[in-house]
Amino acid sequence: MLLVPCPNCGPRNSEDLRYGGESHARPDPATATPQQWRGYLYLRDNPAGWLWETWYCRSGCRRWFTLERNTATNEFRNPPIPGDKRGGKA
Amino acid sequence: MAESPAFESPVVRSYEFSSGGPLMLADASGTTKWLVRGEVGGAAADRMDAPFGSSRAAGGGACVLGSRPGEWIVVGPADAVAEVVASLDGLDPSEFVTAIDWTHGRALFLVAGTDAPRMLEKVCSLDWSDAMTPDGAVASASVAKVICDVARCDSDGTPTYMIFCDRSFGQYLFDALIDAGEEFGLAVGLPNG
Repeated sequence: MLLVPCPNCGPRNSEDLRYGGESHARPDPATATPQQWRGYLYLRDNPAGWLWETWYCRSGCRRWFTLERNTATNEFRNPPIPGDKRGGKA
Repeated sequence: MAESPAFESPVVRSYEFSSGGPLMLADASGTTKWLVRGEVGGAAADRMDAPFGSSRAAGGGACVLGSRPGEWIVVGPADAVAEVVASLDGLDPSEFVTAIDWTHGRALFLVAGTDAPRMLEKVCSLDWSDAMTPDGAVASASVAKVICDVARCDSDGTPTYMIFCDRSFGQYLFDALIDAGEEFGLAVGLPNG
């Protein structure tokens, strides 16, 4: 079982949450090139290591939050941040 | 507890009711329930006065539950609940606040008994020990795979829990709780008992 630290609810079973994927910046629609949109929509870094990612606490506080997880060891570091660290989902 | 007019409980199967036992489950879905939403830290939050994860007793037997950040459930006798909701009148109109009658939309079950925490731990991943969820605690969690709001409201020192879920899951959850409580001698009490 993976215990995910929600900033509102505390540690919760990952089954109580929805994984939102890698947290990455949304380009400005007014100025983004097609290549930038493609990168935003489809390309992921997918590292075997530390990664900022978004989660949705669907059974608890129903809020998105961002945290840093090591994808190789499932360790977490730094306190989770309410909302999307980079300004996407709220 | 008061029942709304023409309320039809989602629990439609018939059960053998008992007046007492070590662990009791009762359908209290007819109890008046309102949902209030406002800004975290706003004026509505001040008037509700129940931060996320906690609850408070309001006058007349009503209870205000801080079910989520910026979200409260007001439950209890209809008059007392109306009084709590009316306390939101006169707020600054720049703050967006909603209050809706949830009575017909949500099922409410009461579980009471010393083994109630152990029973809940069979169907929910939260820690229901006294240290983590004392009397007055409120949490949202998956109960038998149904997303529920759970509030602890002890009665005479006996652990008692209010479990709210969407009414469409009411019958399923009621049966799931009966299954979970069987090994603890669970008995079904009269509706709204």
